[in-house]
Amino acid sequence: MNVLEMQNIRKSFGDVSVLRDISLTVKKGEVVAIIGPSGSGKSTLLRCATTLEKIDGGTIAICGRALASNVNGKEIFAGKKDLVEIRSMFGLVFQNFHLFPHFSVRRNITESLIHVRKVPKAEANAVADRLLAKMGLSEKADAYPCQLSGGQQQRVSIARALAINPEILFFDEPTSALDPELTGEILKVIRELAEEKMTMVIVTHEMNFAREVADRVIFMADGVIIEEGPAFDLINNPREERTRAFLAGY
Amino acid sequence: MANLQSTILQLLTGMKFTILIFCLTLLFSLPLGLLVAKGRMSGNRIVSGIIRVYISIMRGTPLMLQLLIVYFGPWYIFKIPLRDLTIGDLDYRFVATIIGFTINYAAYFAEIFRGGIQSMPLGQYEAAQVLGFSKSQTFFRIILPQVIKRVLPPVTNEVITLVKDTSLAQVLAVSEMFIAAKSLASAQVSVVPFVVAGVFYYIMNGIIEIGMNKLELKLRYYS
Repeated sequence: MNVLEMQNIRKSFGDVSVLRDISLTVKKGEVVAIIGPSGSGKSTLLRCATTLEKIDGGTIAICGRALASNVNGKEIFAGKKDLVEIRSMFGLVFQNFHLFPHFSVRRNITESLIHVRKVPKAEANAVADRLLAKMGLSEKADAYPCQLSGGQQQRVSIARALAINPEILFFDEPTSALDPELTGEILKVIRELAEEKMTMVIVTHEMNFAREVADRVIFMADGVIIEEGPAFDLINNPREERTRAFLAGY
Repeated sequence: MANLQSTILQLLTGMKFTILIFCLTLLFSLPLGLLVAKGRMSGNRIVSGIIRVYISIMRGTPLMLQLLIVYFGPWYIFKIPLRDLTIGDLDYRFVATIIGFTINYAAYFAEIFRGGIQSMPLGQYEAAQVLGFSKSQTFFRIILPQVIKRVLPPVTNEVITLVKDTSLAQVLAVSEMFIAAKSLASAQVSVVPFVVAGVFYYIMNGIIEIGMNKLELKLRYYS
């Protein structure tokens, strides 16, 4: 079953066309890494899939639920009620964490469970504590985000995204805001999630990591997919000149 | 000495009104200010335009003049006789004072709130949106609590100014502390009532400063 299905996505900001007819399908349990130079549209693609940007054309479905569909050439977007349900099927981890600074670590995780999903408070706390244990952050449950290191904050934001038990998890450059010595702890968490067969789409600049963890790598440039294939093949033996030039920089 | 005692007692009686004006103005103008800020940021150009003009007038004309217009408006516009005009059990002079102060302070608070709201990073909205929070949940649970922390210092400024501005209610002959001080001063041919009133204003603001500092410290648990 396809967890994510994006067909012929077009998106421009003003006159700048950022995504030009991009299609991306992700199967259940698959880990897809998106690589490419900055400005290639990879983050925009992720933002379109996660309801943060509205596409100009194309179709998006998550677990078969239409986020955007095209009827007779007219874009139809999911309504409010559908959006709430579709948003309960995916999680997004931001480059800059975007934790809620005024909430404790635990409450960062439970707030949406309690007030959006209507999970009882005790149950939500149990979910948070289980996820924090998994992230190795049990003792930080009552701390505030500002008291944590960048790596710890990012692990909390992964726990927050996992709280709703999503079908698919999106990562938008999850280690780009971290010091090099802290990226390891995030990559370890993502690796563990991959072993648990979590479906994931990861925009990243960590080529070694992409090669090791991803099943499939997509190379994007100038709003189109230049090349895609099994992670090891694409990164070690790129077919396209553009991909080779990009990877030579790493 | 007996003179000073009666001066203090009479000023304290006036102070009751001063405190009442102060509290009621805050009670109404803080929520109204939030609403005005929302209107000012509205995507609807007519709404934001009207709010912009309202804020401009409130900030650009003397509060004393605004109080007079609120008070005399019903007579000049609708020919409603003001003598003995009451609203419920309340003297219209007092009601007009509260209305005047509220609409004036709401304009100032609105601009402070707008600054606070607009200073919030977009990421907070995006994180909330992806987690499924509705617009109002996002505002009241995620944004507003952080905005309150950010706007506390400028709000404290306004609150302190309000304590002193209550003395303007004298133009509508509301018997607050300043009017009491004035009549005592002229009766006693002495400046002492003014000095005592000054001390009282200062004590009120001292209490506010301490309270707001405490609140700021309390919100310092995160940054």
